[in-house]
Order: sequence, then C-alpha cells, then structure tokens
Amino acid sequence: MKVVYNWLKDFVGVTAPPQELASRLALSGTNIAGVENGAHGAVLDAEVGSNRPDCLGHYGIAREVGAIYKLPLKHVSPKPPESAAKASDAIKVEIQAPELCGRFTARVVRDVKIEPSPKWLKDRLEASGVASISNVVDISNYVMLELGHAIHAFDYDKVRDHKIVVRQSKPKEQIRTLDGVERQLDPGICMICDGDGSRAIGIGGIMGGAETEISFSTKNVLIECAWFEPVPIRRAARFLKLHTEASTRFGRGADLEMAELASRRCAELILELAGGELLAGVADVYPGKRAPKKIQLTRKELLRVMGADVPDKQIEASLTALGFASVRIDHNRGAEGSLLATWECTQPSWRGEVEREIDLIEEVARIYGLDKFPPRLPAARQGAARLPHHEAETRLRERLVGLGYREIVTTPHVAEERDALFRPAGVSPARLANPLSEEAGVLKSTGIVTMAAALEWNLNHGQRNARLFEIGRHYRLEGNQSIETSVLTIGGTGEAREKGLYDSGREFSFADLKGDLDAVGELAGGLCWSADSSRDGAHAAPTWLHAARRAQVSLDLAPTGGQDSFFDRQGGAAFLGEAGELARRVADRLKLRQAIFLAELGLDPLYAAIEALKNSRRYQPLPRFPAVERDFSLLLADGITFAQISESIRSLGIPEIGAIEAVDLFRGKNVPAGKYSLLIRVTFQSREATLMDAQVNHFAGKIISILEHRHGAQLRAS
Amino acid sequence: MPTDDLGLDKTFAALGVIEAAQVAARFEQVFAHFDAQLKTVHEESTWKQFRDAWLGRKSGVLTQVTDNWLKPATPELKRVVGQKLNELRAYVELHIEARRASIESGTEQAALARERVDLSLPGVIHPIGSRHLIRQVFQEAEDIFFSIGFSIVEGPEIETPYYNFEALNIPEFHPVRDDMDTFYIDLPKGAPTPLLLRTHTSPMQIRTMEKQEPPVRVIVPGKVYRRDNPDATHSFMFHQVEGLAVDTDITFCDFTGTIEYFVKQFFGPGVKTRFRPSYFPFTEPSVEFDVSCIFCGGSGAAASGGVCSKCKGAGWIELFGAGMVDPAVYGFVNYDAKKVSGFAFGMGIDRLAMLKYGIDDLQVFFQNDVRFLKQFP
Ligand SMILES: [Zn+2]
Repeated sequence: MKVVYNWLKDFVGVTAPPQELASRLALSGTNIAGVENGAHGAVLDAEVGSNRPDCLGHYGIAREVGAIYKLPLKHVSPKPPESAAKASDAIKVEIQAPELCGRFTARVVRDVKIEPSPKWLKDRLEASGVASISNVVDISNYVMLELGHAIHAFDYDKVRDHKIVVRQSKPKEQIRTLDGVERQLDPGICMICDGDGSRAIGIGGIMGGAETEISFSTKNVLIECAWFEPVPIRRAARFLKLHTEASTRFGRGADLEMAELASRRCAELILELAGGELLAGVADVYPGKRAPKKIQLTRKELLRVMGADVPDKQIEASLTALGFASVRIDHNRGAEGSLLATWECTQPSWRGEVEREIDLIEEVARIYGLDKFPPRLPAARQGAARLPHHEAETRLRERLVGLGYREIVTTPHVAEERDALFRPAGVSPARLANPLSEEAGVLKSTGIVTMAAALEWNLNHGQRNARLFEIGRHYRLEGNQSIETSVLTIGGTGEAREKGLYDSGREFSFADLKGDLDAVGELAGGLCWSADSSRDGAHAAPTWLHAARRAQVSLDLAPTGGQDSFFDRQGGAAFLGEAGELARRVADRLKLRQAIFLAELGLDPLYAAIEALKNSRRYQPLPRFPAVERDFSLLLADGITFAQISESIRSLGIPEIGAIEAVDLFRGKNVPAGKYSLLIRVTFQSREATLMDAQVNHFAGKIISILEHRHGAQLRAS
Repeated sequence: MPTDDLGLDKTFAALGVIEAAQVAARFEQVFAHFDAQLKTVHEESTWKQFRDAWLGRKSGVLTQVTDNWLKPATPELKRVVGQKLNELRAYVELHIEARRASIESGTEQAALARERVDLSLPGVIHPIGSRHLIRQVFQEAEDIFFSIGFSIVEGPEIETPYYNFEALNIPEFHPVRDDMDTFYIDLPKGAPTPLLLRTHTSPMQIRTMEKQEPPVRVIVPGKVYRRDNPDATHSFMFHQVEGLAVDTDITFCDFTGTIEYFVKQFFGPGVKTRFRPSYFPFTEPSVEFDVSCIFCGGSGAAASGGVCSKCKGAGWIELFGAGMVDPAVYGFVNYDAKKVSGFAFGMGIDRLAMLKYGIDDLQVFFQNDVRFLKQFP
C-alpha cells in the first residue's frame, strides 16, 4: 500500500520527516519497504500485514501515526447537502444471502457530469499508483485509498427496476466483469444482481459487471458501499484467480461501520467534483450488525506474557488512540501501576481481529516499543538432548570426510524419468500433485538420483574427480502413507589418487568404493557383501548397476571382533543397501562418459549398530607371544572367492589362526587362462606360548590340504 | 692403515731401546706416522677406520703402545715412556676429534646443498573431504542452542495440513496460506487426509507439544518447501531451524534475550539487533527480527560509496520471524494457556549462511559444485 505523506496530513498533524516516520511505523508494526520522493512528495511503501485491513487506507495509517506520536486523529465526518427526495424511494435493496453479505448501502446521485478528474485528485491517485479514468470512478478509488473501504459505482439507469438483489451464485452462472472477461462462477459466490435477481451485475466484493459500468454518458450514479464475509471472498477470489483491491480488503475483514461513512464521503466528493443532486439518506440493509465486543486487559497478564511493565498512562493512551476506549474497572482504580489493574476495552469496528486479552497486550507493547522490554536469558530447567543418532551420525560424517568425501545437499524434486531409472521394482514414488515443472515432478525415491545428478553437474563443469556423500532422505508412498527413510548416498568418479610429485595417479575403482564403505562399516561391526541378491534374499540386485561390479551390502549382525571382520562371514545380516559401478547403459543415457561408482545405505540400521557396538566394545588384552606369518601362493579357478578360501581355513577350527588376508592377486603372464593367482597371508598367534616352527608347519600342511581338497587349489612356489 | 713398521708389536727390550733419546725417536716416528695418515682422512668412513686404528680399545695404536712399550718398560724408562704416551694420546685425541668436526661440517654442507627440501613444493596431499556449508551452519546453530538448554528434534517433511496449518491457527482460506504456496502429494483417490511438503518447520511445535508436557525447549533443524520459482534468493527447498520454548514463566524478555544471545554468538558481539512487530497466526505478539547489516556495519552506505546493496541503505537486514506462542495454539495440544507461555521462531539457515559468508546466489548450495564445496573445508 502506497502511503502519500501529504495525504496523511489530512488526518493527522504529523511533522516528523518521511524517513523518520517510516522507521517509527516499522518499529510499531507497519513495515515500510522504502520511501520514494516523487513529483507529489514523499510516498511510503507500506507492507500491511494480512491482519490489518484497517491500514489499507490513509485514514487507518493516520490512526497509527497518531498513536505513535500522541497526535489527535482528525475524524472524517462528511455532511453532503441532500435533496428532498429519498434514496430509499429510488433504490430497493434485498439481501438474500446474509451469510455472504453483512451490509449493503446504496446512495443515489442524480444529474452528475462525468468528466476527467481535477489535477489534485489525479495527482494523489498517480502517487498511489492508480490510473485516472473519470471523476466518479476516480472518486470511488480515492475513497477506497483514503478510508480503506472498497466502493463500487453503478450507472443507476442501467440497474433494472432500480432494485438490487444480493444472492449466492447459481450453478454454471456466468458474468462479464469490468475487465471484459467472461467468468464462470462456482456455487456459493456472492452475486450482486438487479431487477428480479436473475441478472448478475457484479461479483460482490470482488469486481463489478461490465453491463452497468459508469461511462461518460452516465447521468445518475448508484453508490454501492457494502460489507462481505471475508472467508467466502478469499475462496471466491482464489477460485476465480481474481485478486482485486476490493477482494484484498473484504477478504481480510473490512469495517462494517465504515460502509455507510465511506458511501457518504464518496457522495460528498461526487457533489463537489461532478455536481448533481444527492438523494436524501441511504438505502441500508444491515443484517450483520453486531454489538461491539468488550475485552479486558489486566496488568497481571501483561506482565506474565511480556515480562516487564508498561506505565498506566502509556497503556491508556495507546489503547485510546487506537480506538479501544479503555476504562479502568478494578477496585484499585485510583492506584497507578497497581498489579490488580484491569481495563475494559471496546473493540472498534475496524479491528475485528482484536478479540482477546493477548491481542490487546500486543497493541500496548508495539506502541510502547518492543525495545523497552529488557532482553534476558532464561535459565534452563532440564538437561538438553541431542538427536538420538547424533553421535553415530557425527562419527559417520567425520569418517567420510576423512576418507575424502565431500558432503552435498540436494533438492529432492526430480524428474519422473530420472527417478524411474533407479527406482526399485514395486516402489511407489511420492509424486507432486502441483509440481512447478516436470523436471521436478516427483520426490526422489532413492538418493542415487540426486547423487548421479551432482556427479553429472561436476563432470559438466570440468570437475572430473569427485567423491561425494549425502546424508538425507528418500521419499516413497505406501498406499496413502508417506515413508521418509534416512539414507547415506555415496558417489565417486575420476581419480582416486591424483598423479602428483610422490605418487602415480589411479582411477577410482570398485575396490575404492568397497574399502571406503568397509571403513564406514567398521563403526558398525563390519559389512557383508553379496553379489546377486541380499543375504536375506529379499532384495534383488539393482539393474542400474554393472552386472560384474555390483553388490548387496548388509550389516554383519554377529560381529565377533575378529580381525577379518571386513570380510564376508556366516551369521545374521541386516540389509543396508547396494553399491557398485553405474551400468554403462544408464551412464550413456545420462551422458556420463567415465566410470561412476554409487552406493546407498539405509541409515537407521547403520546408526543402531554403531550405537550398540559403541556400548558393547570391550578391551582385548594384547598378545604376549609373537605372531608368525605364513604366505600361501595359490592358483585358483576363476569364480572361487577369497571368502570361500577364508571360510575353509577357518573351518579347520585351529584357534591359533588369527588374521587371513589377501595380499596379492594377479592374472595372465604365467597364470593359465581360467585361473588366477592369489597370495594369502595367514597369521598364527597363540595366547599360551611362542609357536614352534613344527607347529606352524603342521597347521600350514592342514591349510594346504583342505584348500587342495575343497577348491582344487594348487600351491605355487612363493 | 698399516703401522707394522713402527715396531708396536715388540717391547722396547726387543727393539733394543735402552735410553730416553731412543724412546723419543720411536715416538717421533709414531707422531710422524699419525700426521701422514691424518692428511689422507677426509670422509666419515675413512675417519672411522682411522679413529679405530689409533684409539680402538683392543688393537688401536695407543693400546699397543701401552701394552707393548709402557707396561714391560724398565723402571728407568717407564717414566719417560709414560710421559711420551700421554703426549701422544693428547695429540691423537685432539686431532681425531678436530678432524671429525671438520669432516662433519664439510659433509653436512655438501649434504645440505644436495638434500635441502624445497619448502615451496607441496607435501603428500591426502584427499580430505568436507561438510556441506548448510550442515556446518546447522551444526553451529544446534551447538549454540544446545548450550542454553535446547534439545534437538526432527520431524517428517511430508506433513498433513493439520500439522502444517490448522493446528498452527491457520485455518483453510486464511490469507497467510497465500504467502506459503504449498506442494501437495499426489495421493490415491479416497486418501483420508491430503499430504503436503511442510512449508516451515513449525509443525514440529505441535508434534513436540503433543508428545510432552511443559517445560519444552527444542529446536528443529530441517528442510522446508515452498512453491516458489527458483532464483538467486528463492528455492523451492530451503532449510530452517525452528525453536520452541514453553514453560510456566517464559516471557517476551526471555524470548528477545534468547534470540539476541544466538545472534551475537553467530555473527559476533558487535551486531546490533531489533524486533519489529509483525504478524503470524501462531505467535502473538509476533515480530520480525532484524540485525544491523553485516556488510556495511549498519551505516547503510557501501564502502565504495553509494548505498549498500545488501540492505538497500536501510542498515538493517531482516533475519526471521518469531514471537510468543499464540494461546490458540495451546488449545490444539491441550496445554493450559492460562498457566504456560512460550516463544517460537523459525530461522532460515540458508539465509544465515548467505549473510555470514557473503554468498549472493542461493542456488550454489544445491548445485554441489566441487569448487564450491572446497571453499568451506
Ligand atoms: Zn548494508
């Protein structure tokens, strides 16, 4: 709302310069976005809150200014001369829909001369950003900007039977509005009709109709100044997508009493600027008339909410200036500053939203000045708690950062087509009913979608080495329920180690992904890796991952604390997610021209395991006797896994066997096709004594024998 | 280093030495021999051999002289042999030590020249990752509020209209809903309640109070969504930290004190603050909270002259909305509005980060360009 500084002066004798006024208004609740000095003086751009329709006019702002500076408000009381003929004989008003229209006033001015407006009127409208049309139309706009109440002027002679009927819209009803648009109505909208009520001549409180519009040939004017229920107005404006100055004002709750006053002011200005004769009185149908509400304010409550006092004089001056007519009613009336002080206030018709004591407290506090309430820090009365998974998440994040991953934050809105690439079979995504675009039409059903997009962004911007992680959620529907699941998503591409002064470069590989995830998994007691379907059989391998380089990752639920807990073992397993290299088919589709590695793990089981393990970890005494290492160079058929070898060795049940590690692996050269060479290092350790060569040789013999027997392993000279 | 011809392995008796002059001559030979050898010793390895040849305990020259010349000497010669031996020992030790020092400094200088590290070259670079700036700011906000007794809670991003609007005193068709353009989830026909993406973290006020009796003191970090077209200052997703404190004795002064404490911790003690009355359906009194412009120090003038572009000359920057919890809200959670009071706030984390770190485009947070991520290790 544009507030013209000089216009304000019509109602309040403010002398403060515009900038200072702007700042005082802002600090008392009418925020001023800016002050412009134009051809017509200073104009303040007021951001009026939706709870303050009374401030959508200069008169209301002037009341605020009066309260702030303790200046009297010059009341508006137009007394236009009237003819002998009565308005109530010239126009009939019937309200058939009192649930939509609480008051309808009509005045008639005869023999007006429709002309361009005088300069002063044009200037004020221009300063307010309103185009000038003709004197009568301009006056209705002017009064709206002055008093904050929307007015509509009809060509009296075009109103059939000189009768107004206010009713609800009918099914499939249509109207052509002032702006020339043919509009289809929804049932329940307030219609202004004429004659027998069959023809609509305006949408009540929103916009007038085209057929009864004021034109330069208009002779007699009908001034409509009514009051409409706010909720139906907002609903209608939203349905019609028609938000007007009128709908804004009525939609926020206009002043019932102002309807008659604004009509009189309008008539006064018409007589002054367009001449003519005003019929006596007003046709006023007022089914919504209500008695003014009484509200009490107590010092006790003021202190309880605000924490500091306001002097009696300040309370009374502020409330009175704002129109609340406060009266002390407690038994200590004479005692200033009494803790028992109670004021009875009358709600003014323009402040419908002030209904409760708390509303009055706010009024008093904002005029007094919020800076006058001294800030203090309240004492805490109980211990504070972090999120249950705070520590697990912190450890997870610090480990990922240490491993070289950068955290990302993404918007979950993605294209349906992208989401479908990664979405597991049988999952219903959470689609938006009203997306901004198709590119952002569905919430990601897996974090992989946005991780792939983040890698794609970097590759397209010349950053070919990226290791990223996101701790976020994915979103799915199960029937009518939304399911939000916390997930860790990981992406890696480019060089795992960049070529530098001291080291040669190396591309990120599946082994990097596995090693990094295992390092994370260590916090949770280790991970189980399986190739094609998860341990529990419930999860099929995702097809968007490369068939030779993908894995299902589960949580090892039977951590033994053994040194090979990084490797697959027997035992219970909780499914965490999947990991692997992006399938070429999908990478090509996304135009990603280098190998991309991705993983997603569910965070709830991971956090639970991290927490549980943290509390159950116990110290293992360090061995007192030296360990002995033995290497076994094996020639194995392709397809035999390290896990099988490891399990077979463990199955010997030799307690002195500690770690079993794979230390070298190669194919080609001297290794026949279909086979590979694997160097295994086994650590022997006794807690009772130093192991003798003979014992270790004996164990080694058993190991060789079982590997030859079970896996056809050939021992190579190492 | 041969010393055979010096006759060290024989006694003076065997060598036919019987008078002092002969003793002196013998020692002169040893001195001369030492000098000759010393001239050839320039490196650490030969110095070590040299030292061992002369000072070695088992068969060094000095040991041999002691064992073969001194100990068996006749009483007449013993004194002069002893004296000469002492001279020899002093001479040998002095020069061996001096030579060691000179060799060492010589080698060191050569070595320094050869081995000196080039400090301008980088060390071995380990790729270290980083936390996202939004996460860092969340963490900072959480830590500050945690330190003054606020617990941290989280809630769903997909909400019902009841929690996002109604229970916060925002009924259907309330004008405030127009300011919060909302994404709705496409649900199967017949769903019992619509679902939406929360437009603020405030639903957790309700969920928290439903679950627990006062005193309540929580903050809620999380993502929120509004259906705004993305640009430098808008995104349809952004981040908030909601705060809620309810107790039997929480006042407006406690509210402003808490907010000021946070902002001074976050931006530094020099920042000025102000509370402007405002309107939100779920708080009353409601305020907008402003801080003195971080860029111009509140002067409104840019360092380069002209008006500060960040605060448009106002000297103040609007940070977030807040207020005392509206009593109507307590009605939705069965709190007694006559007995309890409290405050609530919802601050934009992205906005705090942009102001603190001078970021002028909201979109960089969500593009995740590695060059951006690297800037905030
Ligand atoms: Zn500034």
